[in-house]
Amino acid sequence: MLLKKFHNVGFEGVEVVARRPFGLGELVRYPLFAPEFLDFLRRVIPSHRHGELVYSIVVTARKPRARTEEEKGGGP
Amino acid sequence: MSYFSETEARSIIRDAYGQVHSDGVAVAEALYATEELERLPRGAVTFALGVGHPVRHAALEPGETVLDLGCGAGIDTLLAAQAVGPRGKAIGLDMTPAMLERAREHVGQIGLDNVELREGLMEELPLPDASVDVIISNGVLNLSTRKSRALAEMLRVLRPSGRVSIADLVITEALPEEVLKSPAALAG
Repeated sequence: MLLKKFHNVGFEGVEVVARRPFGLGELVRYPLFAPEFLDFLRRVIPSHRHGELVYSIVVTARKPRARTEEEKGGGP
Repeated sequence: MSYFSETEARSIIRDAYGQVHSDGVAVAEALYATEELERLPRGAVTFALGVGHPVRHAALEPGETVLDLGCGAGIDTLLAAQAVGPRGKAIGLDMTPAMLERAREHVGQIGLDNVELREGLMEELPLPDASVDVIISNGVLNLSTRKSRALAEMLRVLRPSGRVSIADLVITEALPEEVLKSPAALAG
């Protein structure tokens, strides 16, 4: 879904250059999450998913290059 | 589907990031190389809250102008500023005043002259068209309820052939609805 948004907006060369699972073991490092919230996640999410709740990715992409005057005019 | 309005989401996120306290380095040590962290103020390291390493994949060159969307306390902005050198510029943008204040302190502590910090929204970037060479972002795009709008703004401010390196979280299998409705999950 996210990659599709990059394409739809007009980015080119959209590529996932890094990808790794992000589970409860990663979340405990973040001070944003209180212990009570992490316990809540352990309760409501099946245990087989605790190691891979979501994925962390890095996406690279580029804006199209400027078109030349010839390209704009549809020249030969 | 978003369970929060744009206004609600921003309020939750501002509060969460404005009130966060951190003295740990676990996040930074999991994401960055030791030699990178040794070049940074401790506060920038302990307040690293990203999910990846966009600078590593941005191929920054001396002299480039790079925009760090959702810069937080500035760890990626500072790394980018070091990479583009004195002829370049790193612009850190964040909507949370408390985080920007931390970033300003860290810029001052490291003595960089090529960093500019601005308050603003990724959906309404306070920058002219075609004004930056590279955009980086780390665990921020997922906080937006208008991701396509944010991406369109990125495209607008990039110069032709400009590039992005965006670290973020993606769901490959649906999470329980009660998790998705949680403000704590939104802020994370």
